[in-house]
Amino acid sequence: MNRVRISVCVRDDHLDVIDEVVRRLEGVGVEVGEVLRPLGVITGSAPAPGWRAIGQLAGVASVEAQREVRLPPPDADVQ
Amino acid sequence: MTGPAPTLTGRYLLVLDDTLVDDEEAAWDAVRAVTGGEPVAVFPGLGIAVVDRLPEDGAGPGVRVDDPRVLAVEPERRVRAISVDRAVEYIDTAELTWGLQATAVATSARTGRGTRVAVLDTGLDLGHPDFAGRAIQAKSFLTGVETVQDGLGHGTHCIGTAAGPLTPGEGRRRYGIAADTELFVGKVLTDAGTGTDATILAGISWGLESACTVVSLSLGANVREVSAVYEAVGRRALAAGTLIVAAAGNNADRSAGNPGFVGVPANSPSILAVGAVDQRLGIADFSAGSSGVDGGQVDLVGPGVAVYSAWPRPRLAATLSGTSMATPHVAGIAALVAEDTGATGSALWSQLTSSALGLGLPVSDVGAGLVQAPGASEEASL
Repeated sequence: MNRVRISVCVRDDHLDVIDEVVRRLEGVGVEVGEVLRPLGVITGSAPAPGWRAIGQLAGVASVEAQREVRLPPPDADVQ
Repeated sequence: MTGPAPTLTGRYLLVLDDTLVDDEEAAWDAVRAVTGGEPVAVFPGLGIAVVDRLPEDGAGPGVRVDDPRVLAVEPERRVRAISVDRAVEYIDTAELTWGLQATAVATSARTGRGTRVAVLDTGLDLGHPDFAGRAIQAKSFLTGVETVQDGLGHGTHCIGTAAGPLTPGEGRRRYGIAADTELFVGKVLTDAGTGTDATILAGISWGLESACTVVSLSLGANVREVSAVYEAVGRRALAAGTLIVAAAGNNADRSAGNPGFVGVPANSPSILAVGAVDQRLGIADFSAGSSGVDGGQVDLVGPGVAVYSAWPRPRLAATLSGTSMATPHVAGIAALVAEDTGATGSALWSQLTSSALGLGLPVSDVGAGLVQAPGASEEASL
């Protein structure tokens, strides 16, 4: 099954119960990578089908697919 | 005999009573009567006169002239236009990069003492002689990579600008700003220059829990839409007293008519987006302009063309261009301003924008203008 790397932003009002949100995510098949408590963000991967529905879970403010960042080649004129 | 203080002309402004406003003849008469001579100029509509001299009987600035027609006296000030003379071009000298001159770092009394700057990038050449003996906090956020050793150069160059030493080795000109900041090196990009949101966010989290004053991100994705995740992160960081600064992006090609757009994460309203100017303080050809998306505006610019800074061994120094180079200028100067004012988070952001040098260029390109370091030491300003 395809998976999507995601970032989940926890709602302000759930920051103090972030571990509940983690369990809820695991309950829908998310493999949690990091729980970044100072940010209130959880990163990991989700099953690809219907991953956006994670945004509807209690305590979740938003969910996004992770972007890849790439610097210009080392010999490029502009960095 | 000494002349007037450098910011005064030696002349005086007289504020005339309201009854003299718009009565040119009466205004001239009043000035002649008070000073015993002819005024340099009278502005009857304003009720103001400019005079070369005041009466010999001891009247002076701040002293109320003993005539009811004159309400106040003050010395005339010399003022300077805020616009920039674009015929002037900064150049690197033997002692200083052009960027440190243009941002007033060279004459600042501050070096970032008591602050913490995190640079999240490809890491640092830990064996670089200019960082020998510097206490550095280091962490890699890449799976399977234990060290922040920089195998690409981009990170070393950015760290050099943000926090390089006052006196680099072997005749290298000074290229670094916050020489005394506590440096936090986060490796969030591989030696191929790639990274994911997961590694970058983990690095930002480390910056916050380490109580960093500034987190510098010379990286991004060419995505116009604001990321709700990065916006929440920026907002939470500011609330915690950490200012995140990020490169606006290099996707412009202005000479071809393409102004580009600020990408993620710089386009978050709560993340300070940095564009690039050249040695004439004109906008760099590649410097992304404000995107029109809420948050997608450039907030400040920094020197971003032909920027000399550190490079991994054996080369030790290199000159690069990019909004990647402008960003650590803002990060380093933010540390100086934090040291100077005690401001953090949103207050620090406001200090940086309110003290920026206006460039007379569109706000969509340069935001508040060119970032400036806090003032010279008392000795230097006398």
